Amino acid sequence: MTEARFQRMKDLPSTHLLGAGTAMCAGCGGLAAVTEVYDVLGENTVFVNAAGCMTLLSVYPFTPFRGSWLYTAMASAPAGAQGVRDALDILRAKGRITPEEDLQVVVLSGDGAAGGIGLSATSAAIDRGLDFIYLCYDNEGYGNTGQQTSSATPHGALTATDALRSGFAGWKKDLFAIWVANKPAYAATVIGGEPLDLARKLEKARSMDGPRMILALAPCPAGWGYDPEHSVEIARLAVKTGIWPLKEYADGETVHTRLPHPRQPVENYLKLQGRFAHLFEPARDEPRLKEIQDAVDAYWAPLEAEHAGG
Amino acid sequence: MYRIRFHGRGGQGMKTASRILGTAFFIEGFEVQDAQRYGAERRGAPIFAYVRADRTAIHERGVIGRPDLVVVADDTLVPVSAAGVMQGIGPDTVLLIDSAESEKTWRERLNLQGPILVLPRLIPLEPSEMAYVGTECAAAAACLTGIISLASVRQAVQQELAYMKAGVVDRNVEIASGAFARMAAHSGIVQEGGTTSHHDRTVPSWVDLPADDIGESSPAIYGAATSVAVRTGLWRSMRPVVDTSRCNRCTWICGSFCPDSAIARGSEGYPQIDLDHCKGCMICVAQCPPHAIVAIPEAEAVAQEKEGAAS
Ligand code: SF4
Ligand code: SF4
Ligand code: SF4
Repeated sequence: MTEARFQRMKDLPSTHLLGAGTAMCAGCGGLAAVTEVYDVLGENTVFVNAAGCMTLLSVYPFTPFRGSWLYTAMASAPAGAQGVRDALDILRAKGRITPEEDLQVVVLSGDGAAGGIGLSATSAAIDRGLDFIYLCYDNEGYGNTGQQTSSATPHGALTATDALRSGFAGWKKDLFAIWVANKPAYAATVIGGEPLDLARKLEKARSMDGPRMILALAPCPAGWGYDPEHSVEIARLAVKTGIWPLKEYADGETVHTRLPHPRQPVENYLKLQGRFAHLFEPARDEPRLKEIQDAVDAYWAPLEAEHAGG
Repeated sequence: MYRIRFHGRGGQGMKTASRILGTAFFIEGFEVQDAQRYGAERRGAPIFAYVRADRTAIHERGVIGRPDLVVVADDTLVPVSAAGVMQGIGPDTVLLIDSAESEKTWRERLNLQGPILVLPRLIPLEPSEMAYVGTECAAAAACLTGIISLASVRQAVQQELAYMKAGVVDRNVEIASGAFARMAAHSGIVQEGGTTSHHDRTVPSWVDLPADDIGESSPAIYGAATSVAVRTGLWRSMRPVVDTSRCNRCTWICGSFCPDSAIARGSEGYPQIDLDHCKGCMICVAQCPPHAIVAIPEAEAVAQEKEGAAS
């Protein structure tokens, strides 16, 4: 495994493969992650894009990619990836492309497709051992159409579907755990605001075969209700407050790549975002805030105990 | 039937404008349709919403092609053809532009027969109040119809913004009242368009084209990164400017955080900002460790450039 390529921020590429001029919102955290991922994977990548914000990356005749891109319905991106992989394998077997010309097949999908509409096709692709990377930009809602609730929406967040404006009553679905339960070759959580951690994980994923997943939390100024300039700050706070654990799974084991220490109170992250403003104004919703903090504490408790003990 | 279109940028509250106007019509006893164009929602990107109102049931559907009133919340959209501001404007269509420039300038520039009005913005709006532009436009539009009372507009604002904080609602009611009053001299200028029916529609003389083979007719792009032909720099309202005297030449920082591939390592290692594509998110300004990037209003930067070019 070649983790050595990215030791310091300075090792990150200073020119980007992904072309400018896309229709993503200013300050889009999903676009930041896709840009960073593409830089590490390189030009020999074919994207199979499930419908969502990122399908607007390519609007005929414009594309930011340097290679192929395929658009599928929300539920069928892994099936599209299977077809592309099979075609590449046939070309390889017939000697019509060299191993160097082979492409990395990457599904690009939002959380709506990744954790909801497209989940069964994904599960089947993992079962078949499909050799692909599944990249999910998780903006915690159906962002492209105005941020309706998805299965990845966090507890207490306001969305466009929340007519009563009381905040999402459910809890964010743990897509990482679902993937791990399927025993893939690799799975990792990342965030664009931590480019070094992201680059290292992508470098690792790139060197492996089989089903691999990269789950990127994607701060979304439009859907989360904050000024675009705060995108990176919010990303960092997601990590520092522990609400977005950075971790990776390989060889049957999950390892955290960052142990936030000291872990900041989760409200530092929440209060910067309009979708959580109702938890602070007109009056602090203490029970709700405590619920959210308790859930984060419960997640980290065993890890912190282990760390303190060791 | 009244057919009214609102054009603005994502974040300026055009959807809210159509809802407020629609509700105000409804309070006056009209049948109403109001909708935002379905599609991707992007802050800063051109967006439009529209309202139909009639005293009988409305059977027309879809985007308004022949508007009686077009309200433009952001005058920089007029020349952007993709925004479709000028679409279907006829001799009777009233055009209301929120602009610092005069009606005369707009008349000369656009060469239109119909009435053009400029919405003078008397109440200074804070940048944080950008979303209130929608309220202002809705109230002005309501006044121009001449058949919606101020009381109905105020009630519509309260109803549509009920979920917001009391102070915000009051401020919006105040903005609506001000805009309504400023348009009083033109009350009733917008005339109802007639009803249309598909029976009256002349069928175009189609030319039949045989369908091509899928291999030829499906769109394919063979160039790499053709998106750079799209100048998203037009979205920007603030411009990042690097102060080289403070810059540490650590472009892996600002260059990694720019989501739009708009920062490259330039000569001598200083960051080079691609102004054709920088969307003005200001992430680089917020993330530069020695604060070597400053944000200046785009309009100011453009004016300075013009001055520089002239001297
Ligand atoms: S809605 Fe959110 S995820 Fe979608 S393009 Fe805009 S910022 Fe990015
Ligand atoms: S981050 Fe700031 S100091 Fe570093 S290169 Fe960019 S502008 Fe210069
Ligand atoms: S303002 Fe945003 S888009 Fe423009 S250069 Fe800075 S980070 Fe990139």
